[in-house]
Amino acid sequence: MADITFDGVSKVFGDDIRAVDNLSLHVADGEFMVLVGPSGCGKTTALRMLAGLEEITSGTLSIGGVVVNDVLPKDRDVAMVFQNYALYPHMTVAQNMGFALKIRGESKAEVQRKVSEAATILRLTDYLERRPKALSGGQRQRVAMGRAIVRNPQAFLMDEPLSNLDAQLRVEMRLEIARIQRLLNVATVYVTHDQIEAMTMGDRVAVMRGGVLQQVATPQFLYDHPANEFVAGFMGSPPMNLLRAHLESGAGESTLVFGRQRVAVPSGYDRTHALPTESGSDVVFGIRPEDVEIVTEAGTVGAISTRVERREALGAEILVHLSLVDADGTSAITIDDNGAVVLRPTVLVAKMGPRADVKVGDALSVRFNPERFHFFDAGSGQSLRQI
Amino acid sequence: MILFVAMLLVAIVMLYPFWVMIYNSLMTEAQFLAGKGFSLGSWKALTSVIPVGQEVLSSTIICTASILIILLIGLPAGFAFAKLRFRLSTVVFLAIVSAMMVPLQAILMPEFVNVTKLGLTSGYVGAVLVYSALGTPFSVFLFTTYFRGVPDELIEAGIVDGLGYFGVLWRLVLPIAVPAIATVTVLQFIQIWDDLLVGLLFIQNTSERPITVGLAVLSAGRTTSIPQLMAGSFISAVPAMLVYLGFQRYLVKGLTMGIDR
Amino acid sequence: MPTPPARRRLTLSRRRQLAGVVFALPAILLVLGLIAIPIGQAVYYSMTQWDGVTATWIGPSTWNQALHNPTLWTALRNNALLLLSVPFALGLPLGIAVLLHQRVAGWRIFRSIYFLPTAISWVVLGLVAQRFFAYQGTLNSLIHFLGFSRSNTNMLGYESTALSALGITFIFTMIGTNTMLFLTGLATLDTSLEEAARIDGAGRWRIFRSITLPHLRRFIQLAFVMTVIALFSALFSLIFVMTGGGPGYATTTMEFLIYQTGFNQGDFGTAALYGLILFVLTAIVGVVQLRLIGSEE
Repeated sequence: MADITFDGVSKVFGDDIRAVDNLSLHVADGEFMVLVGPSGCGKTTALRMLAGLEEITSGTLSIGGVVVNDVLPKDRDVAMVFQNYALYPHMTVAQNMGFALKIRGESKAEVQRKVSEAATILRLTDYLERRPKALSGGQRQRVAMGRAIVRNPQAFLMDEPLSNLDAQLRVEMRLEIARIQRLLNVATVYVTHDQIEAMTMGDRVAVMRGGVLQQVATPQFLYDHPANEFVAGFMGSPPMNLLRAHLESGAGESTLVFGRQRVAVPSGYDRTHALPTESGSDVVFGIRPEDVEIVTEAGTVGAISTRVERREALGAEILVHLSLVDADGTSAITIDDNGAVVLRPTVLVAKMGPRADVKVGDALSVRFNPERFHFFDAGSGQSLRQI
Repeated sequence: MILFVAMLLVAIVMLYPFWVMIYNSLMTEAQFLAGKGFSLGSWKALTSVIPVGQEVLSSTIICTASILIILLIGLPAGFAFAKLRFRLSTVVFLAIVSAMMVPLQAILMPEFVNVTKLGLTSGYVGAVLVYSALGTPFSVFLFTTYFRGVPDELIEAGIVDGLGYFGVLWRLVLPIAVPAIATVTVLQFIQIWDDLLVGLLFIQNTSERPITVGLAVLSAGRTTSIPQLMAGSFISAVPAMLVYLGFQRYLVKGLTMGIDR
Repeated sequence: MPTPPARRRLTLSRRRQLAGVVFALPAILLVLGLIAIPIGQAVYYSMTQWDGVTATWIGPSTWNQALHNPTLWTALRNNALLLLSVPFALGLPLGIAVLLHQRVAGWRIFRSIYFLPTAISWVVLGLVAQRFFAYQGTLNSLIHFLGFSRSNTNMLGYESTALSALGITFIFTMIGTNTMLFLTGLATLDTSLEEAARIDGAGRWRIFRSITLPHLRRFIQLAFVMTVIALFSALFSLIFVMTGGGPGYATTTMEFLIYQTGFNQGDFGTAALYGLILFVLTAIVGVVQLRLIGSEE
């Protein structure tokens, strides 16, 4: 039973490629920590450093209070589940699972006992004598997990274990993995690029980008209070709407200006957020699609006029893509797959119920849920929220 | 249909040597000169002309020893070049592979003198060493390309499970290398069993002669009986054929994994 | 935080490198000792008067002398002429491999049959070939059978034809290995490429030219190299058994000349020199092949 501590850990390739930059992160004993981010963000490198497969350039890594920077993988007592399972093709399931124990010299009886225990937990008992090539993808994945469980390690490391499974299997296995982890109560570091996995599986989630840790918190906290634009745009699907606006400050009241449209900032935000004081300065405004509400009564406070550009019916909900009427000078910021900032034409995405009566081309009046405004610095992207 | 006929024609051409050997060997000398006849006489007389059994034994010993060395040396090296990046490994690999192109005759004289001076032409050691050296570049080449197809994750899983690199080689890599081993074995067996030059020069004792040398010497003799020669040829051809037929199914797999990358 | 005795020196990457060196060392040593060093020795000895026991230094003038030896040029010419057989030794197997690839009934058996001659020693093949080309041999029987009852050949007996007979035999011996090689190459071809081309309207010949051949390029390269190397070394067995280099020097190639000069005439120094020339020739072919057929690594 152990905890994991990254203290200023960096990994530099060659002369200048900082795959991981000064990472400081603590994973408590028994905690399920998800490392999430787009490809190239350093999450896999961090995991591999934890496993001992990559050398640490600077900083200290400790497991169970012991510094392990120079300790070989086999002496760290960690178990790893690989993305492509890496099962030994010439061994049976039972042999695969018992392999690490066998190397350490445990008795045959012990090995058999532990293997059948793990097999029971993973429902693999009927497959123990099969070879990997006779197994389905989901079964192989469970064997990979079994191999890790059997060792009763100080920590579990998982490298995108679900990315090779089809969608339905993925949903099933998400629950399985979470269930098993809770059962075994071992510190787990789980790497994925899928923010849904992050949201549903982690006790806490660490968002990374370009080697730098953006924010680490519980999934709900990350969702409600993202620390910067990147986290705001990354967590949640569809992503948070991010719009660049001017902030005009009047007598004790601020107004967001999107081109010709104006929305008053509800009172209270100037206390909780460090809004720019100079009138007319830029700010990035964020609002989640589900917090964009259709307004039916004319003249409602805070309403803005939009036009329906696109409509996606998903069965349980409808996503409408709106453009702001007269929206010159305003732009929405979105993050593409590589974590780069991409400017798109003015568009707001709103989530509507499945029966909402909207068609492309409709004029729609919407307002933003006054309790769910987000503000980010126009230059740095940092959240303006003061805790 | 035409294709089938074409393939049949090619097959006939290919099988011609066997036909010649079998047909011609089943006559006595006299019958042969006369042009017809059938007799097992030549086969029986063969052993009195050349010590067939002994020579086949020699060939077997030489082949087995050489192939063992070629595998023992080539497999770990192939793994090292494919997966264990070490300083200059690319350069060294290219150097070894280009050694494949050096014909024995190019270095024959120094090689011969070296081996003789070390007293290794008595006994099989000299020949085995030369065959091993000649076969190693190919063996290294094949194993390296084959192992390049092994996923890195597999090796890493072994490391995290607790193996050292030797353990990885022995327990993980070796079991999956069977097709490559079979390929190298078959190709080298044929190469070595059927070789003439090394056996001719590097084995001085007539009692240790391999079968190819025996046949060549026989054919150069004055009192050569063609049927006997053909009988001996057939005996020489059989082992290599058996080895090929036995390992056939591995050949394609081994070569494909090797070159497909 | 307590630090365990950190194995500063033996990190994973260092262990890996160490393992790499150790695993590769035997191969490196063997190749170095028995192939690389003799090359260097050959350079030295080529400039000496050497009978295998004592070597008396003479210097580069030995080269001059050797280059004026007409036999050397005959041998080189023979090697060059034999290179003409290489296209056949590649083309025929290619055709046969394509044939087999069509998967006509029984192709597996045919494949085994085609490869069987490869298992036979070149010594044996040479003896069989001797019978084929002989005065009372099969070739003549065939010619008579086809109606040319007047002519008789003795290809191995005449200077002008002996080399051709050798070439034909050589082609025969290479068919098995090269067919196997090309067949393997065809097996690795992605059928979806062919199918896409067919949908696009390409005819069979077009498909072969634009898709099959480029894919086979690496295999053709390998086959070319292997064939030429065999031509420059393994051919020895055929020559030894079929013609002994004759008639005259008509079938003496470099590889045979080396043997003759060294072991029949006892002139090790010159033989070493010839060996070097052969080495250079093979190297040239290797480089040419890279340019001609395309390079990989």
